[in-house]
Amino acid sequence: MTETAMGKHIVVALAGAPNVGKSTVFNLLTGLSQHVGNWPGKTVEQKTGVTHRGNLTMDIVDLPGTYSLTANSAEEQIARDYLVKENPDVVVAILNAASLERHLYLVAELIELSPRLVIALNMMDVAQQQGKKIDAKALAEALNIPVIPIAASKNQGINELLTAIEQEYRQPAGARELKHIEYGSEILKVINHVEELLDDSITAPYPKHWTAMKLLEGDTQIDKLVMGRAGVGKSSALNAYLRENESAAVTIATLRYEWVERMMAKTQEKPPLGRVSLTEKIDRAATHPISGLFVLLLVFGLIFGLVYSIGIPLQKFLEVHLVESGKTLVNTNLVSAPAWVRSLLANGIISGVGTVLTFIPILILFFAAWAFMEDVGYTARAAFVTDRFMHLLGLHGKSVLPLVLGFGCNVPAILGTRIIDSPRSRLLTIIVAPLVPCTGRMAVVTLIAAAFFGGAAIFVSIGIVIFSLIMLIITGLLMNRFVVGGEDSALLMELPLYHLPNPRIIGLVTWQNTMAFIKRAGTIILAVSLIIWLLATVPNGDINTSVLAHIGKFFEPLGKLMGFNWQVMVALFSSFIAKENTIATLGTLLGGTGAGLNAQLKTLLTPAAAVAFLVVQVLFIPCVATVAAIRQETKTWKWPLFTIAFQLVLSFSLAIIVYQVARLL
Amino acid sequence: MDSERTEEYLEAIYKEQTKGDPASTSFLARDLGVSQPAVTDMLKNLESKGLIDYKSSKGATLTELGVERALGVIRRHRLWERFLTDVLGMKWDKVHEVACKLEHLDVPEVEERLAVILGDTDTCPHGHAIPDNKGNIKKEKAVPLTRFQALQRVNITAIDEGDSRLLAAIEKKGLKPQVIVTIHKKNEDGSLELEAGNRKIKINADLAMALLAEPVSAGQRDTIKEETTLSKLNAGNTCVLKEYTGERNLLGRCLSLGFTPGSVVKMLENFNSGPVLVKVHDTEVALGRDLADHITVTRNENA
Repeated sequence: MTETAMGKHIVVALAGAPNVGKSTVFNLLTGLSQHVGNWPGKTVEQKTGVTHRGNLTMDIVDLPGTYSLTANSAEEQIARDYLVKENPDVVVAILNAASLERHLYLVAELIELSPRLVIALNMMDVAQQQGKKIDAKALAEALNIPVIPIAASKNQGINELLTAIEQEYRQPAGARELKHIEYGSEILKVINHVEELLDDSITAPYPKHWTAMKLLEGDTQIDKLVMGRAGVGKSSALNAYLRENESAAVTIATLRYEWVERMMAKTQEKPPLGRVSLTEKIDRAATHPISGLFVLLLVFGLIFGLVYSIGIPLQKFLEVHLVESGKTLVNTNLVSAPAWVRSLLANGIISGVGTVLTFIPILILFFAAWAFMEDVGYTARAAFVTDRFMHLLGLHGKSVLPLVLGFGCNVPAILGTRIIDSPRSRLLTIIVAPLVPCTGRMAVVTLIAAAFFGGAAIFVSIGIVIFSLIMLIITGLLMNRFVVGGEDSALLMELPLYHLPNPRIIGLVTWQNTMAFIKRAGTIILAVSLIIWLLATVPNGDINTSVLAHIGKFFEPLGKLMGFNWQVMVALFSSFIAKENTIATLGTLLGGTGAGLNAQLKTLLTPAAAVAFLVVQVLFIPCVATVAAIRQETKTWKWPLFTIAFQLVLSFSLAIIVYQVARLL
Repeated sequence: MDSERTEEYLEAIYKEQTKGDPASTSFLARDLGVSQPAVTDMLKNLESKGLIDYKSSKGATLTELGVERALGVIRRHRLWERFLTDVLGMKWDKVHEVACKLEHLDVPEVEERLAVILGDTDTCPHGHAIPDNKGNIKKEKAVPLTRFQALQRVNITAIDEGDSRLLAAIEKKGLKPQVIVTIHKKNEDGSLELEAGNRKIKINADLAMALLAEPVSAGQRDTIKEETTLSKLNAGNTCVLKEYTGERNLLGRCLSLGFTPGSVVKMLENFNSGPVLVKVHDTEVALGRDLADHITVTRNENA
């Protein structure tokens, strides 16, 4: 808290489990003032924003979604470290009223940290629909914590929530005594004994009592911290005692759930027995191994249908009106400018970054579809249905979602792997994700196939997609077996209740993802486009004698094995900037565009070489943006370099085989 | 020889301190029906005899000598209760008060002969353990019925005999130690709906607090309540979770999602391969098969 002339500044942290509508509340509170970044040193998204109330400025921090405050995952560690170390002025626990029993557990944990706490009981409307009568007043009395019923999706109760936050903040410290959970004398004895073995210097900044409980609960992060600080003698005594009392973890959790039951008994009237909720009815079809698969295919089919019927035509439109006319504009209006300036603008920036930006409509559709599925609660079902297949590849049911996103662009796919909680499955997903044929690659495939195979082009295109997915599966199996170490992870996730989508949330999520992508295009992609342009221009402005051409010629012997000359090799290399650049580069090298290109392609490649080219194009090293994303998400250069090396070998060796075999036919 | 009054004090302090806390003056005044100053005087007296440690801020705890004496009184009390029911044929809900008078008769020979005539009895008619003549007593693990969850099957092992009216009410409902009941429903006012044998019984919150029970142990389980793993449960069936036997690093996640012992789990989907879908603590949770293989449960066919 800081005091300024403008009034008071306080920090409010939002805590809650996944699927309680926490981000909806956050969005309502902060609107577009929010800032999306990463938690320091973590690949977990950090959202902050500001809201005002009178002369009180509230910095709202959206903590990662957690079921508990034991560090079972990066999210939980972040959430509880934030609460302990940053000491926010007020903590708002957001609970889902429709499954209150599940979410009161987090409150049990929060109470132990004794913050200024306000409870927002979200989805009161959904609970009512299910026939659950919840007495918020009774809950507030039982807990001695303000409880504000809200319905975030309908924008109800937010004002009351803000008032409660302010009141809670304004009341003097210690005015409200939280009712702590009674753990009973037996377990208390054990906790006290652990406390005796600790001292404050060992546990700081964590409270001692709390640390003792976390040690008993088997929290590995706290364990490591304490054992590292305590002397040898002390830590071995502590270790021995903890091992002796291993069952305390279960006892503590059980007692917390008993407490939850007692709170529930005071708060909620059970709906009549035998009443099956709508969610359960839908799930009998949506999670069934067979009908669920049909539902999944139908949903994905709809998304792809949408993308291909709306997104692709829009992309083509932008290509003509943004990239092509942009180039023309530069070349006609800047005649007086030096040739290299025109070339830089037209061939460097516009064809590099501009081309990438033409894919935005497709990405927006994918992002929106993704946000929609997430908001109605379908994504968890998709993960459940596909888990049995994904498991064979060492992947996780949740892997399917980023992979599907990969059809739009591999970059959000890599970022999307954050939803996978097992580090091993996540890494495997990151490694195989670049093998999903993105729209950029499909644009090249479609054009080449159309040039060479006429009416059969559509089948060739579909064949190539299937081929690259088979390669993805084989790669997954290989990596799972030989490359990525560690234990297989088990699936364990909540399936949230279905609910009506909230257009506002879908809009915001789509907007944020799209902006992040545009920002990326403006930085990394721009930089690399310029480098390639430079290579293609230096030393004398003619691509045919440029450094790039020399590189291409150097690799021509390798190209010959696949039936490619150096121009094709250069075009392939240029796909490193962005996959669809292949076409643009070929265009530049051959000095023709559009229909002219088609004819020239036929002189450049034999049909056998064309097939080899399609193969190498879909499997070639990930584009620079994807590589950067892999680096960012794995926090090491090892995996991006590995992916580049692996796909280089994979694409060339398969293309050589395909060409050599096809030539014999 | 201790006076009757002394023995009553020792007994009361013993019972309170086994629950975890020293006996406060206010508690003793209430329990024994005397004024607080009188309690304070008595406690000072007991302290001077070396029977208790007394701190006015916390209350009284028994010394080793005090525990020995208290267990002697409790042993006689519970042996007399047994005698009254087993030999004289009195109803078990009526014997507590009589035994309260008889327990003060401290004649070693009487105590010895009582033990002989009753055979190898180790519990009183209310289900509490009888200390042996060397002062050892079996620790009681039972907890009030209110602590269990709906659909759980428990064995009533003892009854808190503090209130004679409650005892009579419990007796009327046909409940007594060693009766196995299934908790059908827990109501908001704290009352429980039980099933014992084929009878349906409804008890109020006070009765539920006085009934001490343990989860049904292996020997008492009847044929349908077999133990199995969660992965073997068919869709639509309900079970009570016993324990998680898998690796410890996943234990925390299981617990925080509500897979705690005693939790009721309903299987929603299980196709003998791939993940399973269950309902626990009012939410649907998907579990990988390996995980479900490592969760033992007690099947509950009739639920």
